[in-house]
Amino acid sequence: MTSERHFKPEAILNIRLLVVDDEDDFREIIHKRMSRFGVNPNLAACCSDALASMEAQPADVVILDVAMPGMDGIQCLGKIKGRWPLAEVIILTGHASVKSGMDGMQRGAFDYCLKPIDVMELLEKVELAAQKTLVNREEGMA
Amino acid sequence: MKRLWNSIKDALGIDTRPRLSSEALQEMFKTRYRAFRELLTANSAALEAMAEMEVAVAEEKTYSISFIRSKCTVIIVNLYKMIRNLLLMSDGRYVNLEPAFHRIEEQIIDIIEKKISGNDAGEWLLPINQVNRGIAAQCGEKMANIGEVATLPGVTIPPGFVITASASRAFYLNNDLYNAINRFHHLIDINDIEDISKKSEAIGKLIIDSPLPPSLEQQIYANYDRLTELAGRDILLAVRSSALGEDLEQASFAGLYDSVLNVKRDGLIKAYKEVLASKYSAAAISYRLNKGYMHEDSTMCVGCMIMIEAMVSGVCYSRALSGNDQEMDIFFSQGSAEGIVDGTKNAGHAVMNRAAPFHLVAMKRAEDGGEGFSEAKALELAMVAMRLEEHFGAPQDIEWCLDAANCLYILQSRPISALLFRDRQEEEETVIDDGRLLMRGGVTGCGGAGCGPVRVVRNHADMMAFQKGEVLLVEHPLPEWAPLIQQAAALVAESGSEAGHLATISREFALPSLFALEQATHTLDDGDDITVDASNRAIYRGRVEELLQEVRKQPNLMSGSPVEKTMTEVLKLITPLNLTDPASPYFRGAYCKTMHDITRFCHEKSVTEMFSFGQRYQFADGASKQMITEDAKPLDWHVINLADGFSDDFDTKSNFIRISQITSQPMQAIWEGMHAYPWEGPPAGGVRGMGNIIFQSAMNPTLDPAISSGLTKKNYFLISRNYCNLSVRLGYHYAMVEAFISSLRTERYVTFRFRGGAADETNRVGRIELISQVLEYFQFRVEKTGDALAARVEKREQKFIADRLRVLGYLCIHTRQIDMVIDNPQHFQRYRNKFQTEIEAMIGNDQ
Repeated sequence: MTSERHFKPEAILNIRLLVVDDEDDFREIIHKRMSRFGVNPNLAACCSDALASMEAQPADVVILDVAMPGMDGIQCLGKIKGRWPLAEVIILTGHASVKSGMDGMQRGAFDYCLKPIDVMELLEKVELAAQKTLVNREEGMA
Repeated sequence: MKRLWNSIKDALGIDTRPRLSSEALQEMFKTRYRAFRELLTANSAALEAMAEMEVAVAEEKTYSISFIRSKCTVIIVNLYKMIRNLLLMSDGRYVNLEPAFHRIEEQIIDIIEKKISGNDAGEWLLPINQVNRGIAAQCGEKMANIGEVATLPGVTIPPGFVITASASRAFYLNNDLYNAINRFHHLIDINDIEDISKKSEAIGKLIIDSPLPPSLEQQIYANYDRLTELAGRDILLAVRSSALGEDLEQASFAGLYDSVLNVKRDGLIKAYKEVLASKYSAAAISYRLNKGYMHEDSTMCVGCMIMIEAMVSGVCYSRALSGNDQEMDIFFSQGSAEGIVDGTKNAGHAVMNRAAPFHLVAMKRAEDGGEGFSEAKALELAMVAMRLEEHFGAPQDIEWCLDAANCLYILQSRPISALLFRDRQEEEETVIDDGRLLMRGGVTGCGGAGCGPVRVVRNHADMMAFQKGEVLLVEHPLPEWAPLIQQAAALVAESGSEAGHLATISREFALPSLFALEQATHTLDDGDDITVDASNRAIYRGRVEELLQEVRKQPNLMSGSPVEKTMTEVLKLITPLNLTDPASPYFRGAYCKTMHDITRFCHEKSVTEMFSFGQRYQFADGASKQMITEDAKPLDWHVINLADGFSDDFDTKSNFIRISQITSQPMQAIWEGMHAYPWEGPPAGGVRGMGNIIFQSAMNPTLDPAISSGLTKKNYFLISRNYCNLSVRLGYHYAMVEAFISSLRTERYVTFRFRGGAADETNRVGRIELISQVLEYFQFRVEKTGDALAARVEKREQKFIADRLRVLGYLCIHTRQIDMVIDNPQHFQRYRNKFQTEIEAMIGNDQ
């Protein structure tokens, strides 16, 4: 795709990104593709890993799968927004459901996306979330 | 009331506007602009998803229920985002919007989410002689019919039992299979046979590995034991599919589900699960996706019947497939009948008359047997067939067999699919005799002609290698080749008949097909281009143009399917636009009836909120500035800066601004389009009466006309560096141009709305038509309703977007008043040519 050349990560380079997904392949591919743009996300395979990772190194933007063993993504979103309200969460799921989409949005998700998703498109969503989180940070300090 | 009080205070000259510090206002304005920007992005995402749904329907594409669910989710989630941001921007106005939105949302959920309830009190097993069409929803059409057949005098069926729909649902729910299987379906690519194959295997494994509810397992064994006792000997069972929704008129599901034969007691549970899993064979998944069925639509019931050791078996059509309504067809062969419907056997063929006294019209035996089928048995079968037809009220497609004692058993009876009947034209076969003819003969499955390179398919690997547009050549027309039907140019099989499953499917998909063409795989070479003329049963070398003139009409495969119905229902709640006129008293949140209304409303109100902020809060930075020429002449254009749209050297206290001080990229592009060519003035012959004065004064489009106050409202640009929204009222028409040119693709779009005019309706609509043709030429997506038009482009390169803005800038100026003369076709054509030529010269030809 020609658009790859045109995407210049900006805000995204100034934030910490966390990708939470129980599929090993998915995490690996996302990590590989994103690192081409200088983006190096933290990775977690389930919600409790994600929360542990956040405790150790809080992320500003989180990409969160919905169907995961243990706590599902929507519950996890609640935990994250409760403890780190300035973090922006992008839900990314393989199974479209209006209900879970609305659930996620009402619990404060920044966006709700469906797999399969083009990495470029996902990066753009992360960039938008990153811009917002930088504003959050600024306002949080003010 | 409060509003009234405010307007009284206004009238008295009392300032009612809230007072806030300039920093606080600056902050507020910034926050609102950010919300506005998020709203615009969400608007784009929602409109894009709506357009994708409309395109899928308009172009008769094949789409799945997952597609509908995904798009609905995208739309609803983004609309929610729009509403949230609008409320944030508007000090809590528009409270009626959210209830309207949730009302529509709930209606949509009701349509797209299938709820399969767990409190299903139906029996899990039923003896076959207790089922009938009254309970087809529990046992499937196939078993319902066969159960009913058993009650007719003189008709015998093998004893057995049915494992019901309730049982299958209990099994699914116990193992959470609906959700697990849907997860696979969401990501299936309909055109990727390999992908479908893999998913099919994974789903199959999931089913085989899932345990049955223990009491279901016990009941199955108990029923088997009862049958054994009844037979008084060891028995083998035929375990057959009897899916709900199978054998419908529009969708035959011909042969797509498995039967497992010769099943012993210890293999029974596995065989049951195998039949359930056959619902997810690659062929079945692909067929459902193509025809618009959901896997939840067809619960699998399973019939278990004692195996009859067949000496002779076959298929009987109580009305001949040739279309002759005085005759019936009987196909027969030695041993079991599976080979006939599978297409692996060449069958004998008897033709009988349809009224008593029955007699044989013609009989042709196949080389490999069927000797055991006597004329007397043919008469008995004909009698039974007519009895079945009479009972069910329609010609029947009957599977039958004779056991060692020459006893006749009916194994299945169902209405003949309309697709089986061939057109009754006694078509004269014509063959082109110029040396290109390669083969002649066979049986036409589906008429028509197709051309492409030959691909012999014998196994799974061949199937994966198959390319779109090739001629599918097989030895046996097995149902498992069905996924290739959609991709093939034609189908040729060495064996089989027009009665086989694959023949039926080829007719559904209008694929030219030829069966029982012996030696085809030896005569035709892999990779050679051939033309298959299925109607005339001939095959030619190369491409025979004269046969391919008739364009193969791809039938609308989704027509009448559950998925299509779901789409139609759900679109009613999504795409119609009722809120078209912001000035109307009905342009309110509470009147939103569709998701499109909600987006329209949110968008309109958000622009208004940004527009009026400066005035409402006495915020100088957010107030409008008037455009002036470089030599300080006033222009009839006004600009409001939402963020970073003015250059740093601009003094924010000033009330006037020059174009050189504008940093908004989209506004610059529109401006260029407006000024690239001088307006040629009002069209000659269209100028009448008082209008003349106005037209004259408008000759120079940018100079402030002294008389404008009454007729033209101000024309506003709302801008930021990346954004521009232009509202224009030029003469009698209203236009809105809006764009975001961001470095992010997700944020890029141009949208255009145009409405009104001074001419009569025919002319106004004529102008809309002209504009829409020009816009489509420049690759806009256009939607017209009466004398209004909306056009959109999104996610393209930045230059492409900027050029579209130049197009719109040009059109805003040059379409003025041409509605007065557009009913003249010559004018129409002249304007069209002029517009396209000038615009192309302006933007450089990037078509």
